[in-house]
Amino acid sequence: MSGDINRQLSHMSEASSVGSDGNSSEEMDEDIDHSYYEDTSDDLGLDCPSKTDDPEYFEYEPLQLIDAEKMLNEEIEALCTKLKVNPSMAKMLLLRHNWNKEEIIDNYQRNPTEYLIESHLASRHRHDNLMGHRPLCSVCCVEYSKDRFMGVACGHLFCRDCWDMHFQIQIQDGITTGIECMAKECPVLVTEDFVCEILSHPKLRDKYSKFSFNDLIKSHPNLRFCPGVDCSVIIKAKEPKAKKVECQSCKATFCFKCGIAYHAPTECDVIKRWLTKCEDDSETANYISAHTKDCPKCHVCIEKNGGCNHMQCPECKYDFCWMCLGDWKSHGSEYYECSRYKENPNIANESVHVQAREALKKYLFYYERWENHAKSLQLEETTTAKITTRTQEKVMNNQGTWIDWQYLLRAAGLLKKCRYTLQYTYPYAYYMEKGPRKILFEYQQAQLEAEVENLSWKVERAEITDRGVLENQMDVAEKRRLTLLKEFLDVQVL
Amino acid sequence: MAGLPRRIIKETQRLMAEPVAGITAIPDEQNARYFHVVVAGPSQSPYEGGLFKLELFLPEEYPMSAPKVRFMTKIYHPNIDKLGRICLDILKDKWSPALQIRTVLLSIQALLSAPNPDDPLDNSVAEHWKTNEKSAIDQARQWTQLHARANNVNSH
Ligand SMILES: [Zn+2]
Ligand SMILES: [Zn+2]
Ligand SMILES: [Zn+2]
Ligand SMILES: [Zn+2]
Ligand SMILES: [Zn+2]
Ligand SMILES: [Zn+2]
Repeated sequence: MSGDINRQLSHMSEASSVGSDGNSSEEMDEDIDHSYYEDTSDDLGLDCPSKTDDPEYFEYEPLQLIDAEKMLNEEIEALCTKLKVNPSMAKMLLLRHNWNKEEIIDNYQRNPTEYLIESHLASRHRHDNLMGHRPLCSVCCVEYSKDRFMGVACGHLFCRDCWDMHFQIQIQDGITTGIECMAKECPVLVTEDFVCEILSHPKLRDKYSKFSFNDLIKSHPNLRFCPGVDCSVIIKAKEPKAKKVECQSCKATFCFKCGIAYHAPTECDVIKRWLTKCEDDSETANYISAHTKDCPKCHVCIEKNGGCNHMQCPECKYDFCWMCLGDWKSHGSEYYECSRYKENPNIANESVHVQAREALKKYLFYYERWENHAKSLQLEETTTAKITTRTQEKVMNNQGTWIDWQYLLRAAGLLKKCRYTLQYTYPYAYYMEKGPRKILFEYQQAQLEAEVENLSWKVERAEITDRGVLENQMDVAEKRRLTLLKEFLDVQVL
Repeated sequence: MAGLPRRIIKETQRLMAEPVAGITAIPDEQNARYFHVVVAGPSQSPYEGGLFKLELFLPEEYPMSAPKVRFMTKIYHPNIDKLGRICLDILKDKWSPALQIRTVLLSIQALLSAPNPDDPLDNSVAEHWKTNEKSAIDQARQWTQLHARANNVNSH
């Protein structure tokens, strides 16, 4: 087993794409990133400080189909040798038990018969007795000579044509590794060798091998298909964790564990609950998506066209918060109340009606903020595009070199990353139990929120902001983000 | 009916020769894969006294694929929806080619005797069943009187 791990590790260190994206702006500071990654990949296996410091650090590599196949085949062969079973059987055992080799070997060696029965690869049923010279197949009711009858480990016998038809129908429904015996209530699975021996249709053979390969990948905890559109890359992770993966080939980013959009600090099942809730309640929440609001002081109608939630009225210059319409001055980080929902402390004693209204109010509070940050992210994309164009112009007019202006794009990239995490703090907070952990979370969330808006304000005014001031603001925002993630991401270890 | 599989012929013959108690299943004159089915509401169920019309169709892939069955008579039942579709495992993923029309009909009869609101097809009916079983059963009884009385069915 230890040899196995070493082999996997050496695999990893050869990979080009190891590591979390410590810096979201991959393209421009390539030199810096490169040396950072080389450093870490040289001493894989050792806990160097840069890894433990980064709460989002994640080791993974992209595999092509053929490499993944090779890797799985090696694991299958190893089990064949160990247990002296055929490859079809080994494949099925691995698939049914999520490739947990130690557990499979243990259980198999303790009691092979029981273990195979439990794995639906054998049964207590004795072999069918074929009566007479030309027995009747119970599925098609046709009589055949005995050599036309076949069966799997359970010994239920049916004619070859019926098996063939059965496989065709199952494969057309996308079922391959889950094909069961045709007998009533017999859970015994049909292994690959038996299917291949009988299946006559060449197209369905291809379909079978494709679908069963997909099943193998899906059952492997350390592998995942990239969810990117038309992307065939398979991501191999050192550990199956809910961490961020960026596919090198299609640029999709996703959570390794569940495959949907990355969602730190919220956990996989919680984000799923939240997204379902948002979908179910989409009508209730619709009315809040406003693009314009009135200035709380002079009441002039203001359209929001940037991502920053620190607004300044163009008429009366009043500084206010887009979210809560409060005075921006009260949003200083000491004092930031805007992200915190104040629950009615007496709610338990209220009527069902009041409780329902309160529940809706609470949901809308979190939903509004979640939605607003998603919108800000979109709006900030346009800011980034503007910065790119402006930089191009400047370089063309000999106002500094390309390198001189890269910090602006880096700032926009970092802003995006921080706001993304901020957006995903809202579902986390919504489902959190009351108590000291929640107080700490809300405190750190407020701190992050304040610094994200400060950074956004400065990025929108990048050209009139001093470079040192901007870079300092980037530093502060990223520190707030990491502090929160270190405290709350992945604390409930697998 | 050229090319009707042996299996279907045999099953049909047996269904005619030894019918299931409380159930009639008669193949259509034009199409031997289509059966006109009438199930009598089981005694001691809210469907008692009712006769329920169903249609049963054996698809091309039968018996590798399950028969398609649907209630034609309106019925108040948590596992049967407004369109008469039935939530029954053996009609879906638990189908096995070794099961027969007979087994399917028996299972449907059993479903009328023992509704299962925990695996519903019609959520509002299931909700009713779970929150107030007595009132739901009353409703089912009323529907039986209203829609499934013997003369209603026979007129067809
Ligand atoms: Zn047969
Ligand atoms: Zn069997
Ligand atoms: Zn991809
Ligand atoms: Zn996830
Ligand atoms: Zn104003
Ligand atoms: Zn506010």
